Amino acid sequence: MITSSKRDELICPRCRSTDIGVICCSPVKGVWTVHGCKACLYVWRDTEPEENRNPDLYPEPFRLKPEDVRNFPVVPTIPALRKKKSDE
Amino acid sequence: MTAIHDLRGFLEILEKNGQLLHITEEVQLEPDIGAAGRAISQLGETMPALSFEKIKGYRKARIVTNIHGSWPNHALMMGLPQDSDTRTQFFEFVRRYQTFPGTVERRDDPPWKENLVEKDVNLFDLIPLFRLNRGDGGFYIDKSCIVTRDPDDFDNDNVQNLGMYRLEVKGPNRIGIQPVPEHDIAIHLAHAEERGEDLPVVIALGASPLMEIVASMPILYNQSEYEMVGALQGEPCRVVRMDNGYDVPWGAEYVLEGRILSRFREAEGPFGEFTGHYSGGRLMPVIEIDRVYHRNAPIFEHLYLGQPWTEIDYMMAINTGAPLYVQVKEAFPEVVAVNAMYTHGLVVIVSTKRRIGGFARTVGMRVMTTPHGLGYAKLVIMVDETVNPFDLKQVMWALSTKVNPAGDLVVLPHMSILPLDPGAMPEGMTHKLIIDATTPVPPDSRGNFAQQLDSPVGTEKWRDTLSKLLSEVQQ
Repeated sequence: MITSSKRDELICPRCRSTDIGVICCSPVKGVWTVHGCKACLYVWRDTEPEENRNPDLYPEPFRLKPEDVRNFPVVPTIPALRKKKSDE
Repeated sequence: MTAIHDLRGFLEILEKNGQLLHITEEVQLEPDIGAAGRAISQLGETMPALSFEKIKGYRKARIVTNIHGSWPNHALMMGLPQDSDTRTQFFEFVRRYQTFPGTVERRDDPPWKENLVEKDVNLFDLIPLFRLNRGDGGFYIDKSCIVTRDPDDFDNDNVQNLGMYRLEVKGPNRIGIQPVPEHDIAIHLAHAEERGEDLPVVIALGASPLMEIVASMPILYNQSEYEMVGALQGEPCRVVRMDNGYDVPWGAEYVLEGRILSRFREAEGPFGEFTGHYSGGRLMPVIEIDRVYHRNAPIFEHLYLGQPWTEIDYMMAINTGAPLYVQVKEAFPEVVAVNAMYTHGLVVIVSTKRRIGGFARTVGMRVMTTPHGLGYAKLVIMVDETVNPFDLKQVMWALSTKVNPAGDLVVLPHMSILPLDPGAMPEGMTHKLIIDATTPVPPDSRGNFAQQLDSPVGTEKWRDTLSKLLSEVQQ
């Protein structure tokens, strides 16, 4: 799973959650870090263009509130469990 | 043709034919790879594949893109001259398709067994993942061959599925997958979830260009994709039987083995899709990866997609029309050709002879009742057998002159469409339209078409003469 970030000031550019973890550091040390938001699952690299890192510049049509993801449509729907023979 | 069993074999062919561009200067994963993928598609229909050979932050990583992204590349994959036009490529594809089933060769020496990672799998370490378009919710694997078996019919190789579905890598070994209900993998997943079981899944990256063509091709549920690859390449399709009973492409660069978690959904998306629009966010299934195999110095094959045309439109072009052609022609032999190159067949153009009045629109409805039609074929344009559906100038002529909206528009209300269609309302539902741009035949007597122009006597002879003179002048 995503490990906790030591950089508490990080904010998710998409949903502004502060519950952020580090997913990966560059194999060549110190070049970049990939962060992940635990609320909306947005992932970003700290060397991307600023609109993908900075909540104030993040493109408006893609912004979210952390609670929005709960209302996403479910695809595909989850089918009913089959009845076990012992239940019949 | 000589079969191309892996990505590296095809890269050699591209190189030999001047269709591979090496980018040796260091690139940033964002925005360079996506921007270059977009740019190459804007430069024309004959563009090469791109090979990025120095990636910032990785010691040794290589990304290739635009492998299928032009007609010359598609022709070379088919073993045809690289200047073959789309109609020629279509009919050669259909000819090979009709030799189905081809043969499958099981081997145990896959190059991807060179390395195995089972402990602390971190896909971001192993694969140079990146964001393709600015609104994407994360880093995607958008070109892969995903294998599943039906847990209710496990040993049936014909219903084992090889498909291409988008994958969002959300954590070190955690991937979101989009198995839309119209696609075969959704049947396997539904059976597993009804049983309350995880669905084992194997993901092959960089399998081979033809394997990817078949993975993104709408063949019938009980047709084996591997036997289709064998038919299309005219040589046995190489696969490897895994310990879990799955058959996996022999030539892959990476093989990821995992499970789709049963009865679980999690936020996924948005992703900039082949419709030229973002998908929006959905709650979709999740794969946990347990182990990764890869070649030495593995090559990550990716694909740019955006507002058409981009690489994906070349990849899902001929392979979409060919099965529709065969399936519809089985019912109506008068069908001459099917062009389903537009947005994976959301628009389909069919040329056909007409047996009786009203015939062409009946054929149009048959297109909509193929398995692929369930999620596509929103607009079907019917043209005469003398109109080449691959030549849009001819199609526009037919639309300009043969159509009277008073009787030639057939609207079918509230049909199913894939959820990604941005025009749908509600999502997954749409009206569909057949435009009958054919010349009416009895007992249909509408219009004034008796005096259609044809070519003057001697045109064919003059075409040969002029072509010869032209080639002499141009030499």
